[in-house]
Parts: sequence; C-alpha cells; structure tokens
Amino acid sequence: MRSYVIRRLPSALLVLLAASFLIFTILRLVPGDPATTLAGPDADAATVAAIRDRLGLDAPLLSQYAHWIGSLLTGDLGPSYAIGGQTADLIGDGLGATTELTLAALLFVIVLGTAFGVLGATSRSRWIRTAVRVTTTAALAVPPFVSGVLLVLLFAVILGVLPPGGRVAFLTAPDLAAQYLVLPALCLALPSAAVLGRYLKDGIERGLAEDYIRTATAAGVAPRRLLWRHALPNALPPVVTLLGMQVGHLLGGAVLVEAIFAWPGLGQLAEQGLQRRDYPVVQDLLLLLVAVFVLVQLLTDLVYAWLDPRIRWE
Amino acid sequence: MTELYPLTPPGPSRRSTLRAAGGGTLLLGLGLAGCRSAVSDSSSAPQGASAVPRRGGVLNVAVNSDFTPALLFSQSGQSLQHRLIYNTLTRYDDRLSPQPELARSWTYAKDGRSITLRLRDDVTFHNGRAFTADDVIFAVKNLQNPVRAAQLRSTAATVSGFEKRGDHELVLKLAHPVNNLFDLFEFMIIADSESVEDAVTGKKLIGTGPFRLKKWSPGSGLSLTRNDSYWQAGRPYLDGVELRVIPQADALISSLRSGQSQLSFNVPGKSLGVVKSDPHLTISDYDTGAGAVYLGVNTAIAPLDDRTVRQALAWAVDRDRLLAQTLGGYGLASAAPWPKSSPAFTEAHRTHYSHDPGKARELLKSAGHSKLELPLLHLALPSETAIAESIQYDLKQVGVHVTLQPTDPATGQKKLISQGMPALWTMGHGFAQVQPSTLAVSAYPFNEAKNTSKYRSAEYTKVVRAAWTEPETNAAAANAQHEKISAILLDEAFLIDLVVRGQVQVATDGLHGVTLNKFSYLNLDNAYLV
Repeated sequence: MRSYVIRRLPSALLVLLAASFLIFTILRLVPGDPATTLAGPDADAATVAAIRDRLGLDAPLLSQYAHWIGSLLTGDLGPSYAIGGQTADLIGDGLGATTELTLAALLFVIVLGTAFGVLGATSRSRWIRTAVRVTTTAALAVPPFVSGVLLVLLFAVILGVLPPGGRVAFLTAPDLAAQYLVLPALCLALPSAAVLGRYLKDGIERGLAEDYIRTATAAGVAPRRLLWRHALPNALPPVVTLLGMQVGHLLGGAVLVEAIFAWPGLGQLAEQGLQRRDYPVVQDLLLLLVAVFVLVQLLTDLVYAWLDPRIRWE
Repeated sequence: MTELYPLTPPGPSRRSTLRAAGGGTLLLGLGLAGCRSAVSDSSSAPQGASAVPRRGGVLNVAVNSDFTPALLFSQSGQSLQHRLIYNTLTRYDDRLSPQPELARSWTYAKDGRSITLRLRDDVTFHNGRAFTADDVIFAVKNLQNPVRAAQLRSTAATVSGFEKRGDHELVLKLAHPVNNLFDLFEFMIIADSESVEDAVTGKKLIGTGPFRLKKWSPGSGLSLTRNDSYWQAGRPYLDGVELRVIPQADALISSLRSGQSQLSFNVPGKSLGVVKSDPHLTISDYDTGAGAVYLGVNTAIAPLDDRTVRQALAWAVDRDRLLAQTLGGYGLASAAPWPKSSPAFTEAHRTHYSHDPGKARELLKSAGHSKLELPLLHLALPSETAIAESIQYDLKQVGVHVTLQPTDPATGQKKLISQGMPALWTMGHGFAQVQPSTLAVSAYPFNEAKNTSKYRSAEYTKVVRAAWTEPETNAAAANAQHEKISAILLDEAFLIDLVVRGQVQVATDGLHGVTLNKFSYLNLDNAYLV
C-alpha cells in the first residue's frame, strides 16, 4: 500500500505544478492589472508606474512565477495586492465560511432528501405524494438565484423571522450563527435534496416490491419496521455514492449562493480577487481548489486500492 | 397487478403526530428561549420614538463593495468610512464655503502664495497621541507620493514648503496660487503618521474621528465603535457603525426592507421604485454631484476627429429618458458636468444640448455621413449596461449604429488610464462637485495634458491652467475662467456629459442626522437612531 501511495504522489505533484503554471499564465493573459485597478479612476501614468514598481509587476514573468512558487514552498502566501491583509488569512477566513455553509447544506440535503424519499415512496395520501413530487420538481427546476430571492422575501422581508444575509461565525455565537445559516444553506441544499429524494424514493419502492418484504409482511412484521429496517437500508448504498458527488456540487453552488446571501466565503473572495486582479489571492485560491480535488482523487484511488488489492499490484 | 398486501406502511398516527408535534414544540421553545434573535440583534436601536437626538444604538450600513485599504488616500467606489475614522482640516457647507474642522481658522496671503492654518489643540488620535501641525505636514507630503494614488495629488504638490509656528499653527507655502486648496483640505484625511503603512494594508486605521476601528473582515466589512475621547463634546450619539458588504443588489434591498440595515447609498436606480413603495424607507437625493454619467469620444478615430460629428452625438442622446429609465429619475439631465451647487453651473450650459435627433442627423449629413458603425465600451454591470443600451437606442435613431462592448471593471479601468478606449465608451466621472478647476486638473477624463479622449488643445490647456492658478480670493475672475472651461467642453464635445448625479441615500425612517461631504465621506457626528 505504501509503495502504491509513493507511486501516485509524483503524478499528483506534477498536476499541481502544471496547474500552477496554467493559473499564473491565464491570469496574466486577462486584460487589466492590479496596478491600474489600485491607481483609481483618475490616476496618471506616474501613479500607475509607482504602484507597478511597488508590487513587483515590472519583473519578468518567469521571475514573478518563480517568486510565487518559492513563497508557496516556504509557506508564505504573502500580502493581497488590492483586498488588503494577508492572503493566507483571507483564504483561511473564506474557507471556514464556505465549509460551514457546505456542511449545513449537506445536513439539509440529508434531512430533506430522506423526507422526500420516504414520504414520496410510502405515503398513502395522494395529496402528500403529489406535494412531494411538485416540491422536488420545483427544487430542481428553480435556480438558486431565484429560490434565494424568494426565500429572503418570505422569511426575511415578509415574515421577518430570519436575517436576509450576512454571517456570524459559528464558534463566536452558535445561536445567531445558526439563524444566519438557515436560508443560504437551504437555498444551496434544495436541488441536491430533490435529487437525493428521487433516488431514495425509487430505491425504497424497489425494495418494498421485493419478495422477502412480501414474505415478512405475511409473517406479520410491522410495515414501519419493514421500511426503516429493511427497505431503507437496502436503498442507501447508491444514494451514499450520489451524496458524495453532491458535495462537489454544493461546493460549486456555494459561489452563487454566497453572493445572494452576502456570505463571505471562498466564492465571494474569488469574485473580489478577480474583479480587482488581485493576483496573489486568485492564484493561491485556485491552486488550493486544484489541490483539494487532487487530494480527493488520491484518497478515492487509495480507498479503491484498499478495497481491491488487485489495483495495488497493477 | 393487483396488490394483495398493503406494501406501504401507514402514515403517522394521530397519537404519534401529536407526540412529535409536542416534542418539537418543546424543543423549539427550549431552543428559542435561550436563543437571541439574529433579526432583532441586527437592528439594534434605542427603544422609544423621539424627535430629539438619542444616544446609543449601532447603525448598520449596507455597502455593495468593501473598503480597499490600498485606496485609503484616494476617493474610490466606497469611501464612506473615511470621515467616520478620520477627520479633515475643513469641510464645505452647501454653498461651497469652507467650514472649520481640525483647522479652526485660516488666512490666505494676499498674493495667494501661502495660507496660515490655526489648528485645534484639543484633538487626539485613537491611540492617545496629540494631533499637531506635524500631522498636517505628514498628510500633505503623503498625498504628494504617487503610490498613494490620490486624485488631488497635483494640488498637494503645489505645497512647496512648511513653516511651523508652534504645535498648532502652520504656514503652507505654495509654488503658485491655486483655487482648489480647500478641496484638498476636505479630501485629505488626517491619519496617524506612525501607523500609516499598517493603514494601507488594513491592519490599523488610526485617526481622530468619531469612531474607532474595532475590526475589518475583508469581504464582510468594517466594524466601528464609538470614540469616547472624540473632540466634539457629546458626539457621536451612536455606539457603533457596521459597514456590511452586500454585493448583490436584491440582497442589499432585502437587507434594508427587513430592517437588517438602516442605511445605504448603493440601491441601483432601477430598483428605487421598490424602495419608494416601502413606508419605512425614505430616499434622499444629495445634490453633491459627486458623480456623472458621460459618453466618451475618442477624438483620434475618424470620423470622431470631426467636432461636428461629436456635436451630433451630443444632440442625439435623450438625457431625460436615460435619467428616468436607468437612474430612477434621481439626478440632473445635463450637457455640462456641473451640479447646481457648483459656481460653474448655469442653466444655459445644462441645456446646451437637448434631445434633437433632427439636428443630429443634419449635422451628420453636413459632415458627409448618413450612417456610421461604431463600437461602444461599457462596464458589464446591470446598471451600466442599461445606460449603454439607452445610448445605443438613441444613436441608432440618427443613423449611428453602435456595437456594445461589455467589459469588466478592471479592464475598463486599464483602458481608461492607458488611453486604450475604442471610438465610444460610457462611464462615470466625479470631481465636478467642488471647485471647477479641480475637474480639469484631477479628473482624468478631463485632464488637459493627457485624457482618454486624446483631446489636446493649447487653448484648453491655457484656460485650465489659468482657472486653476487664479487666486482663490478673486471670485469674479475665477468665474470668468469657469465660463471658458464650460464653453470649450460643450463646443469640443470630446466628453459628452449626460446626467449629473449626487448620492441617493436610502434610510429607515428612524435614522436622523446623516450627512455626506463633497467626496462622499459619511459624517455621522450628529446621527442618531430612534
């Protein structure tokens, strides 16, 4: 197993190196630069030149790239050009906020998805089944930028029970933080919860149609026990795989939802960084995301290799 | 197939439903009893209605972009915090007459080549250090540094020497007379010299203002707390101010409507209708003229090198419709850059070009054109796109077919500074709200030496320099120069002004005493919540 890990590491590092070069190059190809952004709308050439010199943007591109990679290797992400503060702190804060939002959304996905699946498959009331079907269809069809606005309008403006945006860190004040989390997490979770619910509903329906369920029913096993102890657990494995895939979807969707709910996560940070051509922030952030995906891929491969020894010997 | 057995389990029984509901209610009750409400927590105002100032409360201000520390010494898209943390030497009243702030009084030399400032002696910075003449010297020298990107650097650079007369009296010696020194004094924040490098990275913001920085969370906003040692006795009334970044317009409006924020200057024009219908929100239009919408023309590109063609474009745009449809009706349709509060404002200049497509077509025909194809760059933001589309429609009516070039703000900024604009572009400019000469020496699109329109004229340079160096004491002569500047701007039409805008403030009806200075720095010295 150890040799397998060692064999996989170089390719992962190569991917990271190639990604860093691509990120650096593409950012430099985008028109506009941090110096003109920082110079303000009425700046003259002397101001732009002074700022460019201060930021080291006059240096050759390869030298700038080498400086960036060298700094990364020493663990120093350096200061942000335009947003202000240290890049490491900015990414750290954003990462905390995005993780918080994604985890809360995942919780909603599990709870709502299970409710949709169980109610859709087992309810004897046609009204409830129709309601579940309509809800899941709507949750899938309505994009987050619409559902987000609707949620804010209902819960924040009309009912006035939840804040329409902003964030309080969970560790600072959990009670307030939870209230700030509800709407963005719900908005983010709705499409994934609908997908999960539909998969679960099909799985449960298939499970309940199995012969052993009929036998158990004939033997007098309570219907509720049949559902929770037999049909549901058997429907879970494909759903768990699906849930794993939805985590990526949630991370991606967080970018949009963060804008609607003024949630200061990585999406907001990336948008701000790009707007102002804040090279250090955007470079480090994109490379971090690539590193996360490379790590996930590596872990997945390792789990497969652990499950199936043949892969290790290939 | 007929189902022999009920394969679906029964729904919840009445008993279990009641049990679940009871348990849920208990849990919710227990949870909420020990739980603060985020909604009431965010809208903290002293209780009870009152028409007189009340102490306490935290004001939440919704902003659409965060404070940029690197732009601390310039006017940027978001400068609200400047006058909360810092003071300025003077501030203009509504008639553009300077009023004391950190400078108690001043005397201009007769030749206009020096000014003596007498400073307050009861002012301390947030770190406890006393404010002295050295801090003014530092502030001026700081703005002379190109790295600070201060728009009024050319005015700061005219200060060629300092003569201290004790800790609280100072003479600024000028290389030549200028008539916009008080623009500089209102623009220039007085920052603690010892921590200035930490200020431009956002680590420490130390001023003498009514509020101290508690925390800046990049992307989230600024948290300020009352300065108990503020030099104005009994001020400020508020305990604190939160500037919260809400980039999305709908979210920002929801924040105001739900009471989470009590003040904003960033509601887009087309959304002001929604705000108007809310009985708890009030809209105030500041006639500061701190911004203006214009159509830029690249005079180096044929046929726009022909003044007649440029004038035709100026006649073609329907400024009133643009104002009503894209800016919510807040602003002043005007062919000249000046707001009504400017000494250069005249009604004749404002209406010099009105909407006259017939005249536009006639001028184009006289210049030998019946149909033109031109690109028009605009920022790819909803409000800017709406303005560009409005211009595109008007120009099409006179035979000028415009292709829109949506551009992100950073690229637009680079093209503006590097003179890389296409034939036409539309953007906003400021700096017409103070002394008229400031516009031509400090606002890049109007700069006589180098501007985006690539317009150069010895006459324009001469007039601008004369207006700028006219001693401040000679108002009649200054007005004559302003008249000449306006005449050139209107006649040459290298930059076609469309609408002069102030700041549109949306506030909850319980907020009183809010003002802005000419550079859109928020002043909450006398603000209170009821």
